[in-house]
Amino acid sequence: MKRIEALQVLNELTAELPVVVTCAATSRELASVENRDNHFYVLDSMGLVGSITTGLALAAKDSDLPKVIGLEGDGSLLMNPNVLPTGGFLGADKLLLVLLDNQVYGSTAGLPTYSSHIDLGAMAEATGWTVGRAEDEVHLRTEFDRLLATTGLTLLHLSIEAGNAADVPKLLVDPVVLAHRFQSWLTARIADNPAS
Amino acid sequence: MTTKSYTQAVADGIWGAGADLIGYVPSVTIAPVVDHLVTADGGTAGISERVKPLSREEEAVGVLGALPLAGKFGAVVMQDNGFGNSLTALTTFSLSYHLPLLIFANTRGGPGEYNSMIHSISQPMPAILRTAGLQVLELDRRSSADDWEQTIAEAGVHARMTYRPVVVLGSFWNTDGKVA
Repeated sequence: MKRIEALQVLNELTAELPVVVTCAATSRELASVENRDNHFYVLDSMGLVGSITTGLALAAKDSDLPKVIGLEGDGSLLMNPNVLPTGGFLGADKLLLVLLDNQVYGSTAGLPTYSSHIDLGAMAEATGWTVGRAEDEVHLRTEFDRLLATTGLTLLHLSIEAGNAADVPKLLVDPVVLAHRFQSWLTARIADNPAS
Repeated sequence: MTTKSYTQAVADGIWGAGADLIGYVPSVTIAPVVDHLVTADGGTAGISERVKPLSREEEAVGVLGALPLAGKFGAVVMQDNGFGNSLTALTTFSLSYHLPLLIFANTRGGPGEYNSMIHSISQPMPAILRTAGLQVLELDRRSSADDWEQTIAEAGVHARMTYRPVVVLGSFWNTDGKVA
């Protein structure tokens, strides 16, 4: 499936969850599907989505949020693979990282990543994550639902086609606005529904 | 005037700053600070409910720097030669999104140093950080442990007040702490 097709499904599945999105094409494609208050677009900071969501998962550990969602790419994860052992060691149980793996740096001229030779899902399993795998919409939905209900750290390894959607506008938004919007949504969500 | 050690003062200052969660990247100089932080939080062996080890400074900025998005406040304890690993995260994430964060870093490469090359990264670091737009406060032997504690605590307040990361650099030379 194409990235934007995956994002359309993920957008439907995450209406009530905090979603932190990796930079460039992935952020702008998700925003083109729907630009919602529960989306936090990491406009640069390649590789930081896993760390940001680890922090948010720890911050939300006493809330009733089932998971904090990170939408990360294979190239971005490979720029900060510490995310995997750190998450496993810290036990950021409310983290569900969706790895959109197209085996290329999609926003950098399609240069290859390591993931055609290295199984990033297996790396996550080796560091304590529960991993699901999907290549199509049916398995994306079933594995997402399974991992959302799974206690502990989770990663959904989703294989997608290389390439970016055409004619998607750039996200020319002040990051302060994005942060304030997401913070307002998340703090209200946590305050309204504390864990019992 | 108290008789507490400088490392105890650093730990007390970080808690006094209102940190909800603290991450650290290992350094022999800040190891006693980590021990004080962990002990105060009821933990052992370098980890507690609110004090966590991390493997690299960039991820420390990501993990702790994200907390304000959830209405909380984070602090990082590290060594100054690690700022080179974290400048992209500090500028494109913390600074750009206006997210407060307290960072305490011990300094290397100055008086008391044994290492023949670490000054290459540590000596220019205050200027590098300021050039990148970061607020930097510097502490050394000329002020008391009480002053260190109060400065660090106020740095946390200042970070939240100004919606940005604030860095406190501490030189332990000629204090009761260890340089390297």
